Amino acid sequence: MKKEPTTLVYGADWCPDCRMAKAFLEKNDIEYKYLDIENNPKYQNDMLRITNGSKTIPTLVYGDIITQEPDLEELTNMYGVQAKKEDMKEVVMIGAGPAALTASVYTTREDIDTTLIEKAVIGGLAAITDWVDNYPGFPEGISGLDLSENLRKQAERFGAKIELGEVTGISAKNGVVTLNTIEGDIEAKAVLIATGTEYKKIGVPGEAEYISRGVHYCATCDGAFYRDKKIVVVGGGNSAVQEALFLTKFASHIDLLVRGDKFRASDVLVHELEKNDKITIHMNTTTDEILGDGAKVTSVNGTNKKTNKKVIFDVDGAFVFVGLKPNTGFLDGSIDLDEYGFIKSTTNLETNLPGVFAAGDVRSGATMQIASAVGEGATAALRIREYLENLSK
Amino acid sequence: MAKDITMYTTTTCAYCVMVKKWLTSKKLDYNEVNIDEQPERAKEAFEVSGQMAVPVTVITKDDDTREVVVGYNIAKLAPAVA
Repeated sequence: MKKEPTTLVYGADWCPDCRMAKAFLEKNDIEYKYLDIENNPKYQNDMLRITNGSKTIPTLVYGDIITQEPDLEELTNMYGVQAKKEDMKEVVMIGAGPAALTASVYTTREDIDTTLIEKAVIGGLAAITDWVDNYPGFPEGISGLDLSENLRKQAERFGAKIELGEVTGISAKNGVVTLNTIEGDIEAKAVLIATGTEYKKIGVPGEAEYISRGVHYCATCDGAFYRDKKIVVVGGGNSAVQEALFLTKFASHIDLLVRGDKFRASDVLVHELEKNDKITIHMNTTTDEILGDGAKVTSVNGTNKKTNKKVIFDVDGAFVFVGLKPNTGFLDGSIDLDEYGFIKSTTNLETNLPGVFAAGDVRSGATMQIASAVGEGATAALRIREYLENLSK
Repeated sequence: MAKDITMYTTTTCAYCVMVKKWLTSKKLDYNEVNIDEQPERAKEAFEVSGQMAVPVTVITKDDDTREVVVGYNIAKLAPAVA
């Protein structure tokens, strides 16, 4: 038998299509050699010679065949193989925050094979919250990071598989849900979307320009850079108040700018705030502009809506917590959303796509509480189990 | 290959945990500078990255060139440590 030539894959580690091609070759047991053009100039030169200067990656060389950026169909034809599909998964959860982690504790305990795909932080927004005082069972409260770590351990203890990756699309047909990911397509019998929310931007001049150079959305990450400095915190909800209190560990003074005439945060937090002499509260105050010297923030300008006067805060930074927006951009019309972009669901937490469920902050009507997300995760898991049982009947 | 990896972190930062997890999964050693514990070194993190944010991962390669990655960004970390 003639020996098959080894395929050469010229690519780079960051290139998603290169990963896709390598994943295809691995899945189909096709021998290949990966040549990283970014870290080896020789490979780069070799590739450019072969491709006559065309710089597209991945470039695959298989015997006499040279192809660039092949899609799955092209690869299948090229190797004359029936693309071996990965076995269909039972349940895939998109996101690994409190809702999905809890759901996976329930599904895995029912021996339902469960994979979670997380594109950012395991634990989601809960993980970047400094302290959680309203999650039941922790009389002294618990740090968001510790809570997330505990949830992760609990899920993994029963066999949940957490993969770091990103889902880019979803569709469903004949009882099979297909997820497009940057590593290739995945099929599952049922899917839970629990992608949560992220902090909104204010949308004022200077905000984008000074992100991470004075404008921040994560106090637990970046607060330490404001030791003995003056900052503003923007927002009047639980997150803004909780994170302002946390930031007093570092900042010498905080101006808290609240657009409305009352707090949306819980009374307990507001009382804490009023007791804290490092924080000055400015109600009815909009945040209009963030100014800097090109390298860092120097002041935040706002308007007192009662007096209609401009107010200027000479500060080194601004931490922004003005509400949450759902992480549903990747769904791209395949799932019904409400007018704010949250996922519509039935009382069974099922979406308009059969076999696709939603839980936690991303669901229309969610209350943005970790305890609710956890509860919804448990409910979704039970509904998914019912769905799978009906599917196999 | 990376000759040295130094990471600036804070105790509370979840993205720092993810970068550490990722480096460990790639079997890469790193030095950690926790700026909560060593506040005097926060300046260093700022100077090296131009940003007031963690995690900051500084990768020194075999040829002594240096790459700085701010945040948990696999697309940038992967080629930097390769």
